[in-house]
Amino acid sequence: MTSPNTIEARGLGRDYGVTRALEGLDLSVEAGSLVGILGPNGAGKTTALLMLATLLRPTRGSARVMGCDLISEASAIRRRLGLVFQEATIDGLLTVEENLRFAGRLAGLDGYSVKHAVNEVVQRIGLGPLRQRRASQLSGGWRRLTDIARATLHRPALLLLDEPTVGLDPEHRERMWSVLDAERRERGITVLFSTHYMAEAESADRVLLLSKGAVVEEGAPADLQRGVGVAVAEFEGPAGAAIEAALVREQLAATSMRTERGWRVGVREPQRVAQLVAEAPGGVTRFLLREATLEDVYFLRTR
Amino acid sequence: MSAISAIHGIVARDLQRAARQKSRMLGGLARPFIWLLLIGGGYGAIARVDGGSYHAFVFPGVVAMAVLFGGMLTAISTVYDREFGMLRLMLASPAGVGVILAGRTLSAALVGGLQGLAVLACAPFLLDATAGHYLAALGALSLSAVSSGALGLLVASRLRSVENFAGVINVVLFPLFFLSGALYPLAGVPSALRTVARVNPVTYQVDLMRHALGQGPEFGLTFDLLALLGSSILALALAGALFDPERRFLASVGGARR
Repeated sequence: MTSPNTIEARGLGRDYGVTRALEGLDLSVEAGSLVGILGPNGAGKTTALLMLATLLRPTRGSARVMGCDLISEASAIRRRLGLVFQEATIDGLLTVEENLRFAGRLAGLDGYSVKHAVNEVVQRIGLGPLRQRRASQLSGGWRRLTDIARATLHRPALLLLDEPTVGLDPEHRERMWSVLDAERRERGITVLFSTHYMAEAESADRVLLLSKGAVVEEGAPADLQRGVGVAVAEFEGPAGAAIEAALVREQLAATSMRTERGWRVGVREPQRVAQLVAEAPGGVTRFLLREATLEDVYFLRTR
Repeated sequence: MSAISAIHGIVARDLQRAARQKSRMLGGLARPFIWLLLIGGGYGAIARVDGGSYHAFVFPGVVAMAVLFGGMLTAISTVYDREFGMLRLMLASPAGVGVILAGRTLSAALVGGLQGLAVLACAPFLLDATAGHYLAALGALSLSAVSSGALGLLVASRLRSVENFAGVINVVLFPLFFLSGALYPLAGVPSALRTVARVNPVTYQVDLMRHALGQGPEFGLTFDLLALLGSSILALALAGALFDPERRFLASVGGARR
């Protein structure tokens, strides 16, 4: 199996005892692309990333990462891989610089290369003023940015990030993504990340939606959004069921979903929906017509 | 080259951590001196061994104790790394489990060795030892430190959480020390306990130190050396086999999907 893709996985799956965590993941990730994995808790996102990082052995299937076999060439993969876990993996007793030096040594860099790489990454990520500060004294945002510095210090070709922005304020989240954008732009690094934030996934080249251990949707965010409908109508109130039934009957509903308080329908002709709502006997308490989002895809496919 | 670099990184980090955990370091240094004063002083009033003072008899054992506690506790701190995520960082590196174990053994041996050296520096106050004795003691101390690090990693390989740490000191470390002939000659203890002492690697650490400091040892020098080398290799091999890299990740996914 030779491919220019950075990741080529076929039927990659993992069981924990009798629990099937990941059914069988088929995944192709182009070099230099940004790919997001979405899915509710327990969907298999972390399992998929840990397997691709060679840290969990797959129960079934196979994969090549950066041209290397996931099982027999794990060490070669790790050499060119950057990995960011859900919680920042830095030692609170060490300074920022000591943490980075430790990471550089673990990556196999010699003393000179470590010094050079640490200086470069500190400058690139803006860690200069914090360089000599103990990691335990950093805010959550700076801990995460130090973690990103740690994972990119050795100039990996592939970066895997497991929910990297959980708990970050918008400022640090934006800063983190701008660092990753620069990595992609300047060095063509491939990034595969999992997230719960739809807005982050919308900026990806491709999105993979996992649910209950299986891939339920895959594609470019814009394509996936178009699949929901031209627009999305949200309505609540006594006439909700009748409006939804009318939309389905008139074949105006591309997708339809019952929510906690009403209906969310992906429609083909937005104008007709407004007319139906206005004419509905019993009325609606809330009506909203808007563009489809990735969140709509998420709810449609994971419920 | 990359293996050496990884070992360098692991050792540097462990030494930096040890230097910053001042209370732990001071406690590790104070422990053998407290034993030397309290146990040595107490028993010294009622006991003489082989015609010499009890202080002189117990001294090699207290040096071994400093090495044992320093080395083993540093190695067992791998369980902290497992709990707080640093171990997965090491496992995700190209270094591999063998290199990680080698690095941890070396750093544990250095911490244990330095603590033992601090006690050994007091030898002139208690023993009539020559420069040759001290040189030999340095060698014994080094081998004992590696042995303690290897034993610590073996314990850490199956330890699930930091909550078990205190239990390990009471259930593993103290029995290893008490059954080593550090505090009393093994010749006089019941045969069942003597048998247990014979399979205790710390017995050979203490005995090797007695050889080095010119005291009456229990076993031959070659036997001590082989026993320590053999038990260290066995401990590291077992630790390598038991050290399941997936365990941390299985814990992180909670045995369920995520």
